[in-house]
Amino acid sequence: MKKIRVLIAKPGLDGHDRGALVIAQALRDYGMEVIYTGLRQTPQQIVTAAIQEDVDAIGLSCLSGAHNELFPEIVSLLEQRNAGDIIVVGGGVIPWEDIPFLESKGIQKVFTPGTPTKDTAVFIEKAVYERDGIDQSIKEPPKKIDHIGIAVSSLEEALPFYVNQLHLKLEAIEEVVSEGVKVAFMKIGESRIELLEPIGESSPIASFINKRGEGIHHIALADDRIEDRLRELSENGVKLIHETPVKGAGGANIAFLHPKSARGVLYELCDKPSKEAE
Amino acid sequence: METEKKDFQSQFEEWKALTEKLIEKFPEKKEAFKTSSGIDIDRLGHPDHLDQHYMEKLGLPGQYPYTRGIQPTMYRGRTWTMRQYAGFGSAEETNRRFRYLLDQGQTGLSVAFDLPTQIGYDSDDMMAKGEVGKVGVAIDSLDDMEALLRDIPLDKVSTSMTINAPASVLLAMYIVVAEKQGVSQEQISGTIQNDILKEYIARGTYIFPPKPSMRLITDIFAYCAEYVPRWNTISISGYHIREAGSTAAQELAFTIANGIAYVDAAIETGLKVDDFAPRLAFFFNGHNQFLEEVAKFRAARRIWAKIMKERYGAKKPKSLQLRFHTQVAGSTLTAQQPDNNIVRVTIQALAAVLGGTQSLHTNAKDEALALPTEDSARIALRTQQIIANESGVTDTVDPLGGSYFIENLTDQLEAYVFDYIRKIDDMGGAVSAVEQGYMQREIHQASYETQKKIESGEEVVVGMNQYKLEDEPKPELHRIDPELQRKQIEKLETLRTTRDQHRVSARLEELRSGAKGTSNLMPLIINCVRDYCTVGEICGILREEFGEYTGI
Repeated sequence: MKKIRVLIAKPGLDGHDRGALVIAQALRDYGMEVIYTGLRQTPQQIVTAAIQEDVDAIGLSCLSGAHNELFPEIVSLLEQRNAGDIIVVGGGVIPWEDIPFLESKGIQKVFTPGTPTKDTAVFIEKAVYERDGIDQSIKEPPKKIDHIGIAVSSLEEALPFYVNQLHLKLEAIEEVVSEGVKVAFMKIGESRIELLEPIGESSPIASFINKRGEGIHHIALADDRIEDRLRELSENGVKLIHETPVKGAGGANIAFLHPKSARGVLYELCDKPSKEAE
Repeated sequence: METEKKDFQSQFEEWKALTEKLIEKFPEKKEAFKTSSGIDIDRLGHPDHLDQHYMEKLGLPGQYPYTRGIQPTMYRGRTWTMRQYAGFGSAEETNRRFRYLLDQGQTGLSVAFDLPTQIGYDSDDMMAKGEVGKVGVAIDSLDDMEALLRDIPLDKVSTSMTINAPASVLLAMYIVVAEKQGVSQEQISGTIQNDILKEYIARGTYIFPPKPSMRLITDIFAYCAEYVPRWNTISISGYHIREAGSTAAQELAFTIANGIAYVDAAIETGLKVDDFAPRLAFFFNGHNQFLEEVAKFRAARRIWAKIMKERYGAKKPKSLQLRFHTQVAGSTLTAQQPDNNIVRVTIQALAAVLGGTQSLHTNAKDEALALPTEDSARIALRTQQIIANESGVTDTVDPLGGSYFIENLTDQLEAYVFDYIRKIDDMGGAVSAVEQGYMQREIHQASYETQKKIESGEEVVVGMNQYKLEDEPKPELHRIDPELQRKQIEKLETLRTTRDQHRVSARLEELRSGAKGTSNLMPLIINCVRDYCTVGEICGILREEFGEYTGI
């Protein structure tokens, strides 16, 4: 597939280009082709560059407060020059109260400080694919088995088998109070064994053990496109426990699929922050 | 060994005697400083025996190498200058904010100009669209400058102006406004940023190419050395280098390398180092890593003193002393849960104070969202007033000096800086390193690394990548009058029809021929502004003669 081309531009006189440079690099690292205009570009210059470079999208960065004047002008110049299909997004120091105005003027999305760069990349990618009618379905399987969750009544009693008999190394024990579990992780190859001990009677693990006894509870699949996959699964009639990802242990984004759709197996999709990625 | 020991001891006694004498003339804030428990607070904590190692590395405050501070009594004598950077909208509006801040106990002014002013465009220039009065005050002519400084006594208040490429023009306006107030140029005090190298590196408000830019700077050095003796002619700035994403070591190294370039340029034009070096000032960033920041400020003083002494043979103590302003790090402020920023600012400001800053700007909590409101600007000022009056850290000089960790960090930062300086020297100095994009690349790499660490969660930013709120409250924000640009353009049109156009043209042509030659441009620019030539017209002539820098 053709690489997505993006023009990162600094309209106006603002010289703060840390954000623009970081975004340019992050989009490149994501696999896009990025052209950076440099500082002090007029709306006309930006539009001309976008058309000449045949870009799919323009990312505007402005920290000086001139966004309300300059961003809409760029969109309307694009339209005048029959390039209204170029997707325009923006970022910088943009007060929240200006965002609806900018969106009403055709800026498709405004990314405020603190937005992870990947969110911006994913947004642009989706917008371009949607515009071009490109099938966004996922052809790739999940990356690997991230871990196998095993329900145990007591970590203290269960751990010696793994540590002393199987010689696995205990990495961490963590309480996830919101889920009512205490979790022990052990690495094995590129996956992990995750022992789950219930905290309190209301814990889902407690009811699992009451109903079915100790044993394998779930299988977690590592996936860096959870949201897309959940959407696709749901469209294809797969039942989900979580329609959108929630926070799990270690700051990961996770979502469970319903066992009814998977022959009784409880599957989890999980996307861990990249420092955890091996 | 024994005699050496005695020597250091007698040096210390001498210092004590000198300090006592100084206190007779400039008394400390209190007769005696005590803790809540009644324990006496020593002016200076120090080891029992001062040895060679101590004297070389730390020394005594007010003495070479100035690691512990540039004055012997530091804040026991006088608190740092609280200098809040402010400016927005019209000159009249900013004048009101200035007088409000002075009423609230601020002790110096700091002017923020809008981008058209900083880049030498008038408010009616096509390039100024959308930018007039946004990040600072719009100044087109002397008319605006008079309104900006109305009822502010320029013989008493010192003013810092964040202006670089057109620094000569704004300084000229300040001189003429003072003159109209009956204050001579010998009496005024303040600072212009005037640091063009970091504009190429990090801040982006350059106009001309490096060579003529350096000439404008050294013209100011020479003019002020003769006529404006209390003016700090440059504020060599690491602030923006850090904001652009550098590390602390890079901030220090690139700033000092730029400093070396300015000293070289001034010497090349025939100035003597001790004639201009006492008026060089610095501007650093007060960032998050508290202990490293304290060490950074201490290292900066020692490095500069060494360079001025060993590399340039400067003799005057004032030439060796690195004086600096600190602003806390705007880039660490979060748009999320903005109240948390007050706490960040406090810690960063405390580092600057423990590092011995001469003046300080504390950021307002809402600056990741917009310019500060009056309320948030007041809290920012209060933050430093609390440090100054309530924390007690000002009662003793360099309280962290002698800490194993701090001293070690100070030494290591110094080593880093000298490594970088060697590298930059090998490239032919800072000007040529900038032209090759060396510093820009180093900074970008560091900033991208930081971004990745924040996104992976390795670096925690409270309220942003951890401890988030589901529903962020939406704070009240400061708004700029959307009619401002129109009003400013009207004012400018009136000026253009009422001023003496013949004089304006004559002055501008004089400036042009001056720019073609080698004479000092400052007097010519003063003549221009006195006859109400605008910033855009003056810079326009210089653009035609010098050309424009277009980035690399």
